[in-house]
Amino acid sequence: MTVASTAADAGLPDYVARQPSGFYRSVNPGTKLAVAALEVVAAFLLPGWVGPLLVLAVVLATAAAARRLRGLGTIALTTSPIVGSILLVNLFLLPGASDPIARLGPLAPTWSGLWFGLQTVARLMAFSLAIGLVYLTTAVDDLLADLARRGLGRRAIFVVGAAVQMVPATIERAGEIVDAQRSRGMDTEGRIWRRARGVLPLAAPVVFGALAEVEERTMALEARAFSAPGRQTLLRVPADRPVHRAIRWAAILALVVIVVLRATGRLG
Amino acid sequence: MDFLMRWVRRQFTTRVIVLMPVAIAINIVLGAAVQQWLKLPIYLDSIGTILVGVLAGPLAGALTGILSNLIWGYLLPSPVGSTTIGPFAVTAGVIGLLAGLWGQFGLFRPRRSRVASVLGAVVAVVMVGALALYTYVRAYASPDQFSVNTSYAAASIDQSRAFFLAVMVVYVVLVAWALFLRRDVGAVYAIGAGLVTGIVAAIVSAPIAAVVYGGVTGGGTDAVVAAFRTGGDSLYSATLKQGLLSDPMDKMITSYVVFFIVGSLSRRFVSRFPNGDRAIADAPNDAHEASPETAAES
Repeated sequence: MTVASTAADAGLPDYVARQPSGFYRSVNPGTKLAVAALEVVAAFLLPGWVGPLLVLAVVLATAAAARRLRGLGTIALTTSPIVGSILLVNLFLLPGASDPIARLGPLAPTWSGLWFGLQTVARLMAFSLAIGLVYLTTAVDDLLADLARRGLGRRAIFVVGAAVQMVPATIERAGEIVDAQRSRGMDTEGRIWRRARGVLPLAAPVVFGALAEVEERTMALEARAFSAPGRQTLLRVPADRPVHRAIRWAAILALVVIVVLRATGRLG
Repeated sequence: MDFLMRWVRRQFTTRVIVLMPVAIAINIVLGAAVQQWLKLPIYLDSIGTILVGVLAGPLAGALTGILSNLIWGYLLPSPVGSTTIGPFAVTAGVIGLLAGLWGQFGLFRPRRSRVASVLGAVVAVVMVGALALYTYVRAYASPDQFSVNTSYAAASIDQSRAFFLAVMVVYVVLVAWALFLRRDVGAVYAIGAGLVTGIVAAIVSAPIAAVVYGGVTGGGTDAVVAAFRTGGDSLYSATLKQGLLSDPMDKMITSYVVFFIVGSLSRRFVSRFPNGDRAIADAPNDAHEASPETAAES
């Protein structure tokens, strides 16, 4: 009997019982986390270009099959400032590099710097996109439900879930505070010490506003037996098929093998 | 063992569990806001972490820091989410851990000036100054070591000394402000705690920045790393020096902001947290008190 049918049999509404569908999206969140961990370790521990390029190929192929390439492109774009920095700093300033591509006045970009910079960028992209793919194909609720099923405590689940929900509301509030403080003369465009004076007028209302909810939320949780002993009943548990379990254990095993080979110097 | 379990359990009351996501949101939003709106070369992304550490304890602080970076890095969509922040979860954890220790030692307690407190502050200033001086001398001001490591002339030592001077000037200005304008010796301890936290954070985050990002993180501090590498520093050395410039200043300012926030909250609110009694002034001073609600309105 599947988890979904169990939930349906229990009389739960469809929006609670429904499981994610589609390629990779339907894979168990824990399995996706294990695969992402393997990809991150491979990108950094496999020597030279092999690790990052292999990981990038796997991630991009999976994203294409799951129709998540556009989202992955957005994530890649957000890393462009750091990519630019890595390339520029290494291109011009790699210590010990003595193979100039050209002379640009006092600056001399080098082939070694370009090579090292590109390799670092490939590792960074492999790392970012592997994690990004998990985010794009997994609802936070599903991830938390799966972690709860695996024994993560209700306190940890509450902290992560509440934080994710709270950030957008706090951002909106911070925007309102900045607008209000600007209208009162807070300088966000002037010299650095004038901008620095805006730290307290910005930080204090954001912090005090957020803390004001702590007492109410504490009482609300206690009224709902948050501290009561015993396990919670989970209404919805993400599917964990045998093939998902097999992939998960294979990923964990591969991760351990890579780490051991690297530690013993057999990966170069 | 039983004592250890009690110590751990004491830090995770329902009130602390509620405070932690609030603190994580504060970290993420203020960290992003300072970069986006104020465009300052500091991070200010650990106010919530230090607040939880001071009020709840080392483990709660460490967990808040680690979760902040993991959520910021991997669970929030762009443009708020930033995968580059994730690997620094280790640093954030250490910051929370240290903040918890400072909270248990009562370093964030307001102390309106008394003779004993002033003497204590002088001792604290001297000790922290000596520690900072030792660290910077080891990292920056050894021409022999510099030349041996890099085979460059020791000319860029002057640049390093200028950076060291900048950090110490910020420390002295903040301490003077606390002593003479706010007349609160407790702020001196908090700023000193921030200085030590910043130095430790720099040491912890340097290898992460060097290994994961090749020394650059896409922020304004990359220019500083580039400057050190121009002087012939290795990748690790350049990121460590950049960290030793940025982190102490950031953590001193952050600690001062947290000290101000804790001192502005009502005694009733603060004392309900596990370490709350170590963060409130000995004698009530109604003129400087406010509940979170009234503080928000002001």
